[in-house]
Amino acid sequence: MKLEIKDLHASVEGKEILKGVDLSIGQGEAHALMGPNGSGKSTLAYTLMGHPKYQVTSGDVLIGGESIIKLTPDKRVKKGLFLAFQYPVSVQGVSMFSFLRAAYNNSRPPGTEPPTIFEFREEVAAKLKMLSMDETFLNRYLNEGFSGGEKKRAEILQMALMRPKFAVLDETDSGLDIDALRIVAEGINKVSGPDTGSLLITHYQRILKYVKPQFVHVMHQGRIIQSGGEELSRLLEEKGYSWITGYKEEEAAQQPA
Amino acid sequence: MIAVVSQKELGAFDESLASALSESRSEPRWLRDIRLDSYGKFKELPTERNPLYTKYASTFGFDISGVGVSPVPAKIDFRSFFQGYLTGKERNILLQGNETQVHAELDDDLASKGVMLLSMEEALRKDERLVRSLFEQRLARPESDKFVAFVGAFFNCGTVVYVPRGVAVDRPLRRMFLLDGPKSGVIDQTFVCAEEGSKVVFLEELYSKGPAASSMVASTVEVRARPYAQVDLSSIQLLDEQALHVSNRAVETLADAKATVSSLELGAAVSRSRTNFLLNGRGSLAEGFEIFFTDAKQRYDFETNLFHNSPDSTGSTQARGVLKGESQSIFKGMIKIVNAAKNSRSYLAHHAMLLERTAKSDAIPGLEIDNNEVKATHSASVAQIDEEQLFYLMARGLSLDETKRMVVLGFFEPVLSRVPIEQTREGARFMIEGKWDGVKRRLVDRETLLAEEGETTPEVRQTEDIFERHYKYR
Repeated sequence: MKLEIKDLHASVEGKEILKGVDLSIGQGEAHALMGPNGSGKSTLAYTLMGHPKYQVTSGDVLIGGESIIKLTPDKRVKKGLFLAFQYPVSVQGVSMFSFLRAAYNNSRPPGTEPPTIFEFREEVAAKLKMLSMDETFLNRYLNEGFSGGEKKRAEILQMALMRPKFAVLDETDSGLDIDALRIVAEGINKVSGPDTGSLLITHYQRILKYVKPQFVHVMHQGRIIQSGGEELSRLLEEKGYSWITGYKEEEAAQQPA
Repeated sequence: MIAVVSQKELGAFDESLASALSESRSEPRWLRDIRLDSYGKFKELPTERNPLYTKYASTFGFDISGVGVSPVPAKIDFRSFFQGYLTGKERNILLQGNETQVHAELDDDLASKGVMLLSMEEALRKDERLVRSLFEQRLARPESDKFVAFVGAFFNCGTVVYVPRGVAVDRPLRRMFLLDGPKSGVIDQTFVCAEEGSKVVFLEELYSKGPAASSMVASTVEVRARPYAQVDLSSIQLLDEQALHVSNRAVETLADAKATVSSLELGAAVSRSRTNFLLNGRGSLAEGFEIFFTDAKQRYDFETNLFHNSPDSTGSTQARGVLKGESQSIFKGMIKIVNAAKNSRSYLAHHAMLLERTAKSDAIPGLEIDNNEVKATHSASVAQIDEEQLFYLMARGLSLDETKRMVVLGFFEPVLSRVPIEQTREGARFMIEGKWDGVKRRLVDRETLLAEEGETTPEVRQTEDIFERHYKYR
């Protein structure tokens, strides 16, 4: 099964941000999406998940050959899509435990019996351990008062419980110190099984030391302008984005208008 | 501004009704005089005005002269009347079926310690001196509020709760109002008195059996927490959407006493409620927790004031409400700290969530502070449901309906989780969920359900000190 993004154009409040994105991710593949600020990486993430502010103007997104762009976010989850948020939203009064349970039950294949509260508690406890998280975490309100590291870990915890086919991780490395980064990265590795296709959005190469992508893509001005293997990320780290973006701009300037 | 009640509409509510109520109950002369005095104040006081009340339909939203308050209460068969509202195992409860009161026995150990949970009539028979002193030193003054005066003149029922010095009542004392049929009127004058060092929980519930056009529950509840006493009061209101609810509460805390008032309002066409906390003793503590959830055309008009009259007193009131449909609410609150009330802390908060553009809510908090060595703060907000929260939860597979439900129920939690009485706290969650799902649920339904299934999600309670988070004025 594949997640296919085909010539995707999307705009926010009338302004076009994505200007024809093409990308195909197979289950089991790890992709990294890099690019300078404002290149449209997070817009791609929100558009894939179906944020109402991001309007698809043309193109398509398919999972297993079926278009998902008309579906509400919850229906996309049921197709196997997951988004780890760059800025997870806090919700007062909703306990982490009841939230996780709802997310878990809603991401299960249809027709399967949800686990009892005791079975679920065991399942969560195992995942918490894997992410070096304390169980008291479950009694807190959803993301409320969480540190940056706790928020990101909580996102990976949700991914671990929901077991998506395709996971988009939007700057999951941002705002983490080096220890937290390692824990989160290891978490991503443990959670991404052979059935998970992932798209890791990042500015920096540092997380790619832990999470090894097979494919690296560079985004600029709403398009993917370069794709390659892991070596591409190292070249970017050495030479900076202008190495590619500048080159591409030159190339564009040379073409007759 | 629309009048709450005009003289014309009062119909049968006149001096002769006040006298007749007194005579039919063979009340002592002093009480008859109090009724007549209250009636006088009631007549003198100007009509109460509020922008929320319905146009043309006046006052209470219906014809108050239609409310049936007869001098002599009709008899009811309480067993069939309360069928479905009680498990049948209740004790320590006073039942009010329309105008008829039924008293369930107090447990022997409580009765032998001198604890009282009595109807006004019984209380007058048992301890007239006590009742007289409560009336003569009323905290809720008839000259200050038209509805305090109204209730003082026309009360057709009442409750007296008395806890002697040093007695800790370890189970809730309860009362339940049940209205049946249109034109039923319950006008209630109640006193709760906790003597020095005593402790009591008083839990009231208000329900209607069916459509209750031209029905009314009007109530004045006075709470006295004498030095070192602790009183936790809770009130759950789920009257029919055609009924009127008017309530006045005056809660006094003397030295080192503590009083809390937790209220859940879900029903009635119009609910108009005033709570005054009178922190009259050094080191006393008063807390209000107000939860409401309105829909359709419900109108809620709440006012809660904290009067700090003594040093080292701590007061807070936190209200949270969600409004659907074309419902409206207004919340007024005032913190008054007199010069003598040095080192007092006070906090007032009102937060409302609007689920539809047609719903409206206003908050008018105020401060009057005559001493610089105090900490007082208020916060208020009225906002639509947060779109980013909806997206986040939907991105976790919850449908839009489930998402809204979770966000709305969560919105109450910062206040609800602080409600000190477990029965009220858990019961309120259960009833709010019911209202969200369009089902009327009562406390008894939760008890029945609990008996059937054991699975519960762990509860998260807020314990953080609100004064640590809010310190606008010091």
